[in-house]
Amino acid sequence: MGFLTWLESLPLSVWVHESPSVWAQPTVMTLHTMGMGVLVGASWVLDLRLLGISRSIPLSAFRWVFRAVAISLVVNIVTGVLLFMARASLWGTAFPFLLKILLVFASAATLLPLRSYVLQTPDDQVEVSSKARRLAMISIAAWAAAITAGRLLAYTVAG
Amino acid sequence: MPSITSLNLTHFHLLLNHVPTIGSVAALGLFIIAFIRRDEGLKLVGLEVLFLIALLTFPAFFTGIAAFSKLRGQPGISEAAIRLHEDVALYGFTWMEFAGFIGWVALWQARRRGRAARGLLNTSFVLLIVAFAVMARAANLGGDIRHPEIGGAAVTIAQAQFLGSKISDVMVNSPWAWPASETVHFLGLSLSFGVLLAINLRILGAMKRVPFAEVHRLLPWGMLGFGLNLITGILFVVGQPKQYIDSAPFYWKVVFLMIAGANFLYLTVFRKAWSDTRGVWTASGADKAMAYVSMFAWLATLYCGRMLPFIGHSF
Repeated sequence: MGFLTWLESLPLSVWVHESPSVWAQPTVMTLHTMGMGVLVGASWVLDLRLLGISRSIPLSAFRWVFRAVAISLVVNIVTGVLLFMARASLWGTAFPFLLKILLVFASAATLLPLRSYVLQTPDDQVEVSSKARRLAMISIAAWAAAITAGRLLAYTVAG
Repeated sequence: MPSITSLNLTHFHLLLNHVPTIGSVAALGLFIIAFIRRDEGLKLVGLEVLFLIALLTFPAFFTGIAAFSKLRGQPGISEAAIRLHEDVALYGFTWMEFAGFIGWVALWQARRRGRAARGLLNTSFVLLIVAFAVMARAANLGGDIRHPEIGGAAVTIAQAQFLGSKISDVMVNSPWAWPASETVHFLGLSLSFGVLLAINLRILGAMKRVPFAEVHRLLPWGMLGFGLNLITGILFVVGQPKQYIDSAPFYWKVVFLMIAGANFLYLTVFRKAWSDTRGVWTASGADKAMAYVSMFAWLATLYCGRMLPFIGHSF
């Protein structure tokens, strides 16, 4: 556990964890939540389109989703790493936290094949391949599970 | 600068508590005239008014909870009378939100079909009558709190019997009720965020060739997220009112929520964009400003909510 304790003792980690400033933990957490809303929300909108809502919008019109996802993913990786560092020895050894990270990876992993599908599909093609539909369903469920796991950390690990 | 919490919410309650009753009378009047004249446009106006009343019923309810904490323990004030008033108001609130929701669906669909569907319109009309009746009863009971001289019977109900107390008991004592509601609240916010991001980005220029009518199809999913958050939000407020009273971020959250809600109505009925079916409409400066205000209001609502434990006093 030497590494986790070392990580936790870095000045930045201590600042996030212990500073009474609203710019420390409160702001980092709030940015993490905002990033989550954009990341998951934008992914879900694309998933809904793939599953048949607003079918007449050409898939190529959804390219903005990947830009929104990329920006919010960066925000959430940075804020997530900061929140992890602040209590590294707690999170690093907690099974529910590792489960959450696994779910986030699983959800994010659907983004790359979905992106290449969106970029490759011609505008006049209305049918969505069954593989893309399956990915969309996995994406909806996996993000929901990731949010659930993340939210419950406050009650299971850090409570 | 004085804090927003220095506002006396009891005064606001005395002002806002008229909205659900008098507002309902106005909306019902509009509906009745529209039915008699067979005026489709007026029916839509009635639905829009209904949506705004349903929106303002939330601060009317919340300021009541705040007023309760101020009046509690004062001489001549019966706590049971207040709890009874609160319970009936909670039922009235539920009916009103239900009426507002069905009314919103009618409005959304009317945008797509040119006129409001009769079934939805009639349903929201009936629900509004029920909501009005329950709210009138709540208003009457509210009057009894301060005016025993007009002849309210003394309330002799044990505290544990009140709906508000029962909800609070479950929210506080159940090991899963609060965490589960929080989780649903986060899922709902993500859904609303995604949908509003798509619609506002369309206004700001992304998806340019896509007719506005197509992104408009996504709105009910945003409403679903909003509805989940309204239900879970009410459970938090009724469950642990102390966390939200005298809390500056919560007061601001209600303010931003009203702005975001009014904007949601505007996006639903948005005329200019709607007439465009070929995807050639481009937003004016004012439309773009509105889209920015919308995104800001939603982010601000989230910010205030997430900051409740830090700049407010929730846990």
